[in-house]
Amino acid sequence: MKKYVIIADSTCDLDADILKQYDIDYAKMGYVVDEKEYPAALEWDVISANEYYNMMRSGKKIRTLQVSGETFKEKFNYYIEQNVDILYIGCSSALSGSVNLGAIIARDLMAEHPEVTIRVIDTKISSLGQGHLVLTAARMRDEGKTLEEVAEYIESIKLTVNQFGTVDSMEYLKRAGRIKASKAFFGNLFGIKPIIISDVIGQNYAVKKVKGSYNSKLEIAKSVAECVIDSENQTLYISHADCIEEANVLRQEILKLAKFKDVYVNYIGPIVGASVGPGTLIAYCVGKEVTIEGKE
Amino acid sequence: MHFTEIDGVLLKSMLSSGYNNLMKNVKLIDSLNVFPVPDGDTGTNMSLTWEGGLRAIASADANLTDDVDNCLQLFSRGALLNARGNSGVILSQFVKGLADFAKGLSVFSIDDFTAALASGSAKAYGSVIKPTEGTMLTVLRQTAEYAKKIHNDHHHFTQFFTEIVAAMKSSLERTPELLPVLKEAGVVDSGGAGLLCIFEGMLCALNGEKIEEANFTVKPSSSSIDPAATFTRNSVLEYGYCTEFILRLMDAKVDVDNFEIKTIIGFLEIHGDSIVAIKDDDIVKVHVHTFTPGEILNYCQRFGEFITLKIENMSVQHSEASVQSSPKKKYGVIAVCSGDGIKDYFSSIGVDYVINGGQTQNPSMEEFIKAYESINADDIFVFPNNSNIILVARQSAEHYKGAVIHIIPTKSIAEGYSALSMMDLSRDNAAEVIEDMMYALDNVSTALVSMAVRDTTYNGIEIKKDYYIGLDKDTIYSCDADRVNAACQLIDKIDNIENKQVITLFYGEDVTEDEVSVLFDRINEKYPLLETGAIYGGQKVYDFIMAIE
Repeated sequence: MKKYVIIADSTCDLDADILKQYDIDYAKMGYVVDEKEYPAALEWDVISANEYYNMMRSGKKIRTLQVSGETFKEKFNYYIEQNVDILYIGCSSALSGSVNLGAIIARDLMAEHPEVTIRVIDTKISSLGQGHLVLTAARMRDEGKTLEEVAEYIESIKLTVNQFGTVDSMEYLKRAGRIKASKAFFGNLFGIKPIIISDVIGQNYAVKKVKGSYNSKLEIAKSVAECVIDSENQTLYISHADCIEEANVLRQEILKLAKFKDVYVNYIGPIVGASVGPGTLIAYCVGKEVTIEGKE
Repeated sequence: MHFTEIDGVLLKSMLSSGYNNLMKNVKLIDSLNVFPVPDGDTGTNMSLTWEGGLRAIASADANLTDDVDNCLQLFSRGALLNARGNSGVILSQFVKGLADFAKGLSVFSIDDFTAALASGSAKAYGSVIKPTEGTMLTVLRQTAEYAKKIHNDHHHFTQFFTEIVAAMKSSLERTPELLPVLKEAGVVDSGGAGLLCIFEGMLCALNGEKIEEANFTVKPSSSSIDPAATFTRNSVLEYGYCTEFILRLMDAKVDVDNFEIKTIIGFLEIHGDSIVAIKDDDIVKVHVHTFTPGEILNYCQRFGEFITLKIENMSVQHSEASVQSSPKKKYGVIAVCSGDGIKDYFSSIGVDYVINGGQTQNPSMEEFIKAYESINADDIFVFPNNSNIILVARQSAEHYKGAVIHIIPTKSIAEGYSALSMMDLSRDNAAEVIEDMMYALDNVSTALVSMAVRDTTYNGIEIKKDYYIGLDKDTIYSCDADRVNAACQLIDKIDNIENKQVITLFYGEDVTEDEVSVLFDRINEKYPLLETGAIYGGQKVYDFIMAIE
């Protein structure tokens, strides 16, 4: 069987150790602060997560950059030269242009190198929802499944990954143009927390609102418990934008309602973080297939 | 003078004499407030209600009201449509009870009047879901009972009525014994006091005494603009005609008693919208917007004859006051509130139509109906935001057929805010929208700070005039010379405060932003998990209105 690599991108929000442990590569997006460009590193080696989110708290505007064509070419060519096939599992196309650009570049490179297979998957989700799909793929590869088998499986389950998140302020999402919200969210509403899902086309959608920060965690816990299937054999994923205490409260509330095999908690990376803002909390689990499409 | 009976002419002079005496005492009755806060409005509400009745009589043909039946029918209808506040609604229902009994009578004998009082009292009780004793209801009932006890001893109204009024007065004086909040505040029931003023005024009319007339202004019903200027030979009939009439059902044409108003409503719905149609015995009152008023008049004339009739081209009216003509939407939202900041803010979070009003200014049923008409929606949610406005809102909803009206029973601005903030108009049906909001209402506490207007003791707290008191809907919890202190002490007393998560503060027109930040600093220090947010409300009377959730 031909060797293949699994490539994610900067929105999968897995930590450096686990990326290394599962031999997962990722294509870096970038961000711009004060006119200066930085690579969006999940290792947080250039700047720590805490520094990054404090920068946002102090009001610094951060602009994000998708994976560049150059980066894709370099990354793909690196493996092509070693005669290794590629499975790129990318951020939702509703949130980033990376996966579309990656597919175009993959097609061109495959034309140049007919012996190479590059498969591109639009996960329709981001953060640890995407992270879960990437990890699942890596485990299957390690079990000896072929690239095709893994790709087909990931495509078939991607919409069963459910997201339930909340943000401190909708301002970041609105400014980044990365949210659809119903009529429930007009006006400046104080103390109101949106519950944000990833809908069937992979966009963030504020489905309902609750009042108060603690209530938002209870609501997420309730939603996870209602949606999850076979939780005892699953990992619960929680990603947070520099609010580990809040993440721990959420974890406790979820575990009160549903038993999971284990829990994985990590920072929301710089790209997703830039569009959701500090204080964001998101839980992911595998459950009923997502069917909702967000409407204004 | 020795009247053995009351005819329509005498009754009219009694009704207006009652009004004059009420107006003379309106400020006094307003001040009979349980809390020492300058927000009493019972006198105002009762006088506006009574005035509506008098205006209905004044605008009718004089000889139509020569018998007590017609006189009271007109009066009670006018009173109902103009009823404000709970006291106004109860008063209008009392009058309706009198009118019900008077049916077919040209004069009242003492026996009749006694029975009419009983009918009025029963009707008044029926208008309230949970009647409270020690209020004007008790005063009405005990007066009616007393009349029943003594009516056989009297042949002349003057003496009979004098004794009734005396009984009413002692009943009123007993209200603090029945209602502890009155006793604690050292006042008698304000609605009962208003009632006594009316009855004393009526007695004056029986005695031939004149009370200095309190004038009310009869509002012109049609606009005074030049119609020719706004609707020319080239104009298009854009909005149709606002058509209003009162129809008397005729025995010769229809079975009056069993005639169902839906016979007319069904036809109106085909030919128009913004429909209000009310049947009261043999009188049908109709309001409809239509392009073909002739069709409607022809149809309705099958059942009776017109008493009054008004047809206005709304394109003409439109250039003066805006009449909504937007496409029909699924949901509409109406809120009662006052204060520039609160009005603006409520509009920004989804309220389509603000009815100006609140504790000291209760809107009438007609104002609600006007609001319903101006919103073209299938379902309309109404936020009365005051316990004294909910009943009128419910009555108005019963009388409006143009949309499904849902009264959300919000008793304060804070409750209104809480419900509105959780409103989700993307929901599929009204029941779901309401469920979200009722859930929010279960969890909100209202906290208010206002300046005391008199010295008193309440709930064991010594209250000094011009100090600030902190209260929720029912009880005073704090009193302090500084309003921030009063607010902080109040917050400590809020039920379940340790589990609350958000305080939203509407600050009044006299409050500075510095005071708000001092208040929030102190709250955050003591309750670090409580999120605080401030909105300029610009309201009078209450310096702080807090929704604590």
